[in-house]
Amino acid sequence: MSLRRNNFKLAYQNLKAAKARSFLTMLGIIIGVMAFVLIICIGQGVKQQITGQLGRYGKNAISIQPAAAGADNVFGLQSASGGQLTSGDLKTVQKTQGVTAAVPLATTNGTMSGDHTVNNPYVVATTADLPKVVHQAFASGGFFDPEQDSKTVVLGSAIAQKLFDDNAPLGQGLMWRGERFVVAGVYDDFHAPPFSLEANFNNAVFVPYSTAKSLSENSLSIYQILALGDGQTSTDNVMGKIRSNLVAAHGGAQDVAVRRASDSNAASDPTLHLLTLLIVGAAIITMIVGGVGIMDVMLVSVTERMHEIGVRKAVGATNRQIMRQFVAEAFVLSAYGAVIGVIFSLVVIGLLRLFSSLQPALVWQAMLIAPVLAVATGVFFGSIPALKAARKDLIDALRHE
Amino acid sequence: MALIELNEVSKLYGFGDATSIALDEVSLSIEQGECVAVMGPSGSGKSTLMNIIGMLDRPTHGDYHLGGKKVSRLSANQRAKWRRDKIGFIFQSFNLLPRLTALDNVALPLLYKGFSTAKRNRKAWDMLERVGLGDRVYYFPRQISGGQAQRVAIARALVNEPQLIIADEPTGNLDSGSSRLVMELLSEIHKMGNTVLFVTHNPELTRYATRVVYMQDGAIKYDEQTKLGEVGRFARSVMYTVPEITEDDDLAGISAMMPVLEKRSEKKAAKKKPVRRKKATTRRKKAVKS
Repeated sequence: MSLRRNNFKLAYQNLKAAKARSFLTMLGIIIGVMAFVLIICIGQGVKQQITGQLGRYGKNAISIQPAAAGADNVFGLQSASGGQLTSGDLKTVQKTQGVTAAVPLATTNGTMSGDHTVNNPYVVATTADLPKVVHQAFASGGFFDPEQDSKTVVLGSAIAQKLFDDNAPLGQGLMWRGERFVVAGVYDDFHAPPFSLEANFNNAVFVPYSTAKSLSENSLSIYQILALGDGQTSTDNVMGKIRSNLVAAHGGAQDVAVRRASDSNAASDPTLHLLTLLIVGAAIITMIVGGVGIMDVMLVSVTERMHEIGVRKAVGATNRQIMRQFVAEAFVLSAYGAVIGVIFSLVVIGLLRLFSSLQPALVWQAMLIAPVLAVATGVFFGSIPALKAARKDLIDALRHE
Repeated sequence: MALIELNEVSKLYGFGDATSIALDEVSLSIEQGECVAVMGPSGSGKSTLMNIIGMLDRPTHGDYHLGGKKVSRLSANQRAKWRRDKIGFIFQSFNLLPRLTALDNVALPLLYKGFSTAKRNRKAWDMLERVGLGDRVYYFPRQISGGQAQRVAIARALVNEPQLIIADEPTGNLDSGSSRLVMELLSEIHKMGNTVLFVTHNPELTRYATRVVYMQDGAIKYDEQTKLGEVGRFARSVMYTVPEITEDDDLAGISAMMPVLEKRSEKKAAKKKPVRRKKATTRRKKAVKS
């Protein structure tokens, strides 16, 4: 027991004796841990931002997308090249038992001009029921009601700025496809995903679906239908019904994805998942590089201290005892590096939260796993030089000066 | 059986044509309680013999029995434990660890034995007091004199109460005052019933020995029993017939190099003429060809 404590004390002393070298070694581990923690925290933050983009979904909100959509693009918001939904599907969903409301989301295009002209705005055609499914506060006004006026629009905060500068857009007119529309409301800021400008609802102009459809000669493709369960039937039950109805309507083809809206899109997006894996892979490689750094420095250390190893063996240290001493050193080195790495990444996360649009999440699992991984790599790579030290021939080591 | 039994022990270095023999079938037996002085010129195999007896090195051929056990049969682990518990080794260059205090250096063998910190420090402290360094306990090796460092090393060798103390030129790096102190300590250990082996170049120091072994070219040339306090007979003859090889010369390596350098300069002088002749002949050949 005391030998072990002594090993750690000794390791600490040895590392302190070679401060610059120890720090350089630790740097590898520090960077590895930082990369690991930051990547996971930022990734998680981005996910949360994307998921939160549609505001707070209603409790029983259900998302229906073409089955290919999720796989084809990162954010699942643009219409996919694969399948698409039709207004027939919308009716099928609306008629399904347990569904109180179903709104289509369709993208279209066309120049919009208010005070300024925006050439390619992100136009989302939907129905008046959207606020029932997507709970998002308005900065001014409210949602449109095509039954009262079919030529009204609702703006995202960013596009409102672009079209009307700082003037109050409410009640102003804007031109789209040769028709004049009136701004019925402006949304508050959606939680914006930082990596996508196109799929950002802050840049979206919401137009009535029926009007958009007639203006685009009925060729409007729906990329997503949001449905709201009635809260009496279980949402899973309603989802099952929607799925079977749509499959029946499509002649048995399994080409729609029906999910809870709250876990749709990014959270379950395989592409983003893949991205996370890739990034974690990169972080692990960084960690291994850190481990190799430890191995390198310890090999130098073993060579430098060959004489010491000889003396220790001469007074009766067994190979295993020598090995343990060096493994302890690797452990101390990587443990310090890991702790410093976690502290640094906390600082960076804080700075990012304060000074950038990224909102990294604090993923405590990553902050636990990263040091454990770092120490494991450090000890693994450190034991190779340790073994070399332990196996060194006594008399050769003793003559080494 | 004697404590140390060497039976035709050889130690070879290198392979093939480059083989050099450090020990040439040495047989030696040393009883418990002897104090043996090993003498001989540099390169005669004294240190190799000490290293093998001290289990720091292994013989190429031959059997070595320590305390009735065949050492070659022991595992690396067991050898380490024997080094720790049965043998105290004292080096010419002290071999103290520079980053440890005198106390920690002395406690090192106890650390590897698994003693608790308190026990280790108590024993090491006692041992340092016994060698007269009770006031240097927390000094680092660089802060004390050579004589004191060697006494720390002796304390380290004794701390596990080994039966056998081996000292490879313990006074080689010390002035005569410190040498005497160190030798007095060794003889004290011997008087307590331990077996002591020491290498020396100084025939005067054979006064402390009960037996003198004189080595040359990897073999034991002379082996005699002496009385404590008397210089061995053979050692005395060495003292008077080979006065030019002193300890200091040996340390500087000058005495070993001198004959080689002389020969080299002779050869150079002899070679100069034939080289010129060669050139002349090649020139002549060329002239013939053209």
